[in-house]
Amino acid sequence: MRPPLVARALGIILLAFGGVLLLPALLAWIVGENPAILPFVVAALVAASTGLCCFWYGRGSRDFDQLRRTEGLLIVALTWTLAGLFGGVPYLFFGLSPLDALFESVSGITTTGATILTDFSLYPRAFFFWRSFSQWLGGMGIIVLFVAILPQLGVAGRRIFFAEAPGPTEEKITPRVAHTAKALWTVYIVLTAIEIILLILVGMPWFDALCNALSTMAAGGFSPHLESIMGYGSPAITWIVTLFMLLAGSNFALQYRMLIRGHSQALLASEEFRFYLTTVVLFAVLLFVLLLANQEMTIAAGWRDSLFQIISIMTSTGFSSADFALWSIPAQTVIFAMMLIGGCAGSAGGGIKVVRVLFIAKFLKREIDQLVHPSAVLPIKIDRVTVHEEVQRQMLSFLLFYLLLLVVSGLVVTMLEQDAVIGMVGAAATIGNVGPGLGEIGPMGTFANLQPASKMLFIINMIVGRLELIPFLVMLAPGFWSLSRNG
Amino acid sequence: MDIVLYGATEISYLIAARLHQGHNLTLLHDPGEANDRFANLDVALAEGSGGDIAALEKIGAAKAGLFIACSALDEANIVACWTVKKLADIETICFISKPALYRNLSSTSQNQYQTRYDIDSIIWPEQLLTQDIFRIISVPDALDVEYLAGGKAKLFEYRIREDTTILNTALRDCRLPKNVLIAGISREGKLFIPDGSTTIHLDDKVFFIGTSQALDSMAADVFSTSRKVRTVSIIGGGNVGLMLAQKLERRGIKVKIIEHDRQRCTLLADTLKRALVLEGDGTDLELLENEAIALADVSICTTDNDEKNLLCALLIKQLGSQRIITRVSKLQNYELFGRVGIDVMVSPKASALTEVLNRVGAHRVDIIALIEGGKGEVLRLTLPDTFKAQRIKDFHFPVKAIIGVIRRGHRVLIPNGDSILEPGDNVKIFTMKEDSAAVRKLFF
Repeated sequence: MRPPLVARALGIILLAFGGVLLLPALLAWIVGENPAILPFVVAALVAASTGLCCFWYGRGSRDFDQLRRTEGLLIVALTWTLAGLFGGVPYLFFGLSPLDALFESVSGITTTGATILTDFSLYPRAFFFWRSFSQWLGGMGIIVLFVAILPQLGVAGRRIFFAEAPGPTEEKITPRVAHTAKALWTVYIVLTAIEIILLILVGMPWFDALCNALSTMAAGGFSPHLESIMGYGSPAITWIVTLFMLLAGSNFALQYRMLIRGHSQALLASEEFRFYLTTVVLFAVLLFVLLLANQEMTIAAGWRDSLFQIISIMTSTGFSSADFALWSIPAQTVIFAMMLIGGCAGSAGGGIKVVRVLFIAKFLKREIDQLVHPSAVLPIKIDRVTVHEEVQRQMLSFLLFYLLLLVVSGLVVTMLEQDAVIGMVGAAATIGNVGPGLGEIGPMGTFANLQPASKMLFIINMIVGRLELIPFLVMLAPGFWSLSRNG
Repeated sequence: MDIVLYGATEISYLIAARLHQGHNLTLLHDPGEANDRFANLDVALAEGSGGDIAALEKIGAAKAGLFIACSALDEANIVACWTVKKLADIETICFISKPALYRNLSSTSQNQYQTRYDIDSIIWPEQLLTQDIFRIISVPDALDVEYLAGGKAKLFEYRIREDTTILNTALRDCRLPKNVLIAGISREGKLFIPDGSTTIHLDDKVFFIGTSQALDSMAADVFSTSRKVRTVSIIGGGNVGLMLAQKLERRGIKVKIIEHDRQRCTLLADTLKRALVLEGDGTDLELLENEAIALADVSICTTDNDEKNLLCALLIKQLGSQRIITRVSKLQNYELFGRVGIDVMVSPKASALTEVLNRVGAHRVDIIALIEGGKGEVLRLTLPDTFKAQRIKDFHFPVKAIIGVIRRGHRVLIPNGDSILEPGDNVKIFTMKEDSAAVRKLFF
C-alpha cells in the first residue's frame, strides 16, 4: 500500500467531482434561483481543494502502471465515501443537519433513494436536480465515469474499473477499458435522453421529466414530487417509467451490443435477462392476484401498479406508483422479497443481483441431483458456459456476507428503533439500495425520525451494498493494511 | 489404378489387403515403421516421408490416380496431401483423428475461409463410426442399418426372435410388404444368400433391402417394433461418445454417459447440454445398477479398449439390456465378439474402410457397404450401354448374388424376378466377399 499513489488517484477524481458539482449551480443560474448557486459553488470548491491537497501529497508518484489490487479497492472505497461526503455539503445550506445531509447525499450517490425529507415545498429546483443528478452519477458508477473521461488514470483505470463492480461477470465489450466505459455511458446517456423526451411528450413538466429520468436510469428513486410517480396521476407516465426501470435493471453491456452494435438478440440470448423477465412477470402476477383479493382496485390499475412496483423494487429503484406501505401484509411480503433480488449484473440496480440468485437456484438444484446420482459430474452452467469453482465460491461467500450484514444491521436497528419492520425492511432496503421500506419508512414516509445511530448504520449499509461488499470486507483483513508497511 | 498409400498403420494394411489384387499399390512409410505384415501383400514398399517431395517423385506419385494419407499423425497426413498436389492434380484422401482439424478441413466449412485447404476428401474414422452408430440407433431393434441410394432405399439387419412372424417359414411363403426383399442370412457366424426354399430359423440374422417406408412397415409387422428410442446409455466419453451424445441430444433423446477420467468428465459436462455425465468405470457393477444403465433403450460401449467394451457389453446384457452396440477396434475381434453373444459390433476401421473403398474406382463399381465385418458387400455399379435389356429371372449369376435396388433416373425400384434390367441402370448388388470379383466381371 502506497498512500501517495492512492492520494494522487483520489486527487484526480476529486478535482473532476468538484467540476461536476458546478452543474447544479449552472442550473440554478439558468432557472434564476440565485440563492441556490452559492451552496454548490462552495461544495465544488471544498471538493476541488481537497483534491488539490491529495494531488500535491501524491505529487512524487506517477507510476500508476504498478497499482495493486488492494490499492485499487481502497481508491474505490474512498472515492464513494468522499463523494458522499462532499455531495452532502450543499444540503447543509438548506437547513439539513450534518447527519441528515450525509444520509441524503449517500442515499443519492449510492442510488438508494431513501430520503429524510418530509416537506418538499421548502427547497429550490437546483436542490432536487442535485438529488437526482447525484443518483445518475452513481447509477453507472462514478469510477466508470471518470475512467471514461480522465485519461490521466491510464492503466490504473483498469484496476479500479473492475474493483468498483466486482460482479460475477467481468466482461469488457471493447478491448480497452476506457472505451468500454465510454460505451456504457453512451448507452446510459442515450436511454436517459429518450426517457426525458417521452416524459415531456406525455405532459410532464420539463424539470420533473429531467429529474425523474435521471433517477429512473440510475435505478435510484429520488423524485422531485413528494408522492413520487403516484403524484403525477398519469398511467402513461407510469408505463414509461416502468419500461425504463426495466432497462435500468438489465445489463448495460448487452444493451450496448443491442442498440449500438445491432445484435438484436443480445439481451434475450442472456440467461440472466430471461430469468429476470420471468421473475418480474411471475411476481407481478402474484402481486396482482393479492392486490385484487385484498384491495379495491380496477384491473387496469392493479396490473399497472403490480408490474410497476415489482420492477421498481426488484431493480432497486424505489419509485412508487401507490403507497404500498398501506397494502395487505401478503402483498407487502412480496415487495420485501423483491428487495432481496436486485437488478442484473452490469446494470444500475443494486441488491444481490439476478445472476447470483439464478446461480444459487442452480446450485441448490445441483445438490439435490447429486444425491440422486452420486457419481454424476454436474457443472453449473449459466449461458451454457460452466461457472468456475472459483467464481462459485465467490458468489456463495458474497451471499453469506450479504445475509450476515443484513441480519446483523437489521437486528441492531430493530433494537435501536424497537420496531422489527423498520429494522429488517430498512436494512434490506438500504443494503440493496432500494430506498423506501415499509411502515414508517415506506414510500410516503421518511427516514428523518430514526435514531442517529440507525441513520449511521444505514449510511454504511448503503455504501457497502453499492460496492458489493468486497472492497469493504478486504479492509477488515489485517493483511490489507500490513501491506502498507512493506511498501 | 495406381494408388499410393502413406503410413504403415493398421488401416493402411486393411486398405491394402482389400485392394492389392485389383490395383497397383505403393506404400510409402516413414523409416523404421514395422511392415512385416505388408510383406504378405502384393504391394511395393518405399521408405520416406510423405512431406518429402523427392521421395514422392521417386516412387512415381505423379502418375498415381489416388493418394491416401493414413499415417498415425494428422499433420503429416495433411502435409503429405499438399505435397503430392504440388506434383500433379491427384485425388487425395486424408485421414484425420482430431476434431479441430476435421472441422477445419471438412468441405462444408472450408469455403468460408480465404483459401481452401486443397484436400479432396477427409476421413475421420471416429466420425464415420458415430454416423454408423447413430443410423443403427435410429431404427428400433435393428442390428445394422445401411443407406443405399442416398437413403431412399435401406438395408436393415434383424435378429429373428421367438415372436417374429416369419420364424420357421420358407422364404417363398413369407408375407413381406411390397418393395422389401431378403438379401442374406447369417446363421451361426456364416453369411449366405438364401433362395426361395430356405427356412428362417431362430436366432438367424436376416438382411432386408427395401424402400424406407416399406422397411418401416415390415419392421412393424414382422418384428412388432414401434417403440421409439427415448433413452441411450453410452459407456466411454471419447470422441465417439461425445459426438454421439451431441447428436442424440439434438434429437431430444435422454443420454447417460459414463467416463472414468475426471477431466474428460468435466469437459463432457461442459460441452453437453442435458446429458447426465457419470464419473466411474463402465465395469463397475454397482454404478451400472444404480444408474439403471441397462434399462436404456440402447446401450453403447465405445471405450477405446476392446476388452473393456466386451466386458461392459456382457455385463449390461446380463443386467437385462435389450440392445447393445459395441465398438470393436481390432477387426480380428469381430469373430470373437460374435461368438460370446454380442449382437451389434461397429468399428471405426470398418467404417473408414467402407468409405475408402467407396472412393476407389468410383466410376464403375464401388463397395458402398460392408456387412458382418466384411463378410458381405453391397456393390454399386452402372450397367454399360452394351448391356442387353433382360428380365432378372433370365439373367444368370454364376455365383450367389441378389440385385437389391435398381435406380433408374430418379426412380428407385426394389426388383423381383420379373423386373427388367436396362442399360444405364444403377444397381446395388448384395453378395459375399469371395464372390464379389466374379460379380464385377459379369457386367464388364
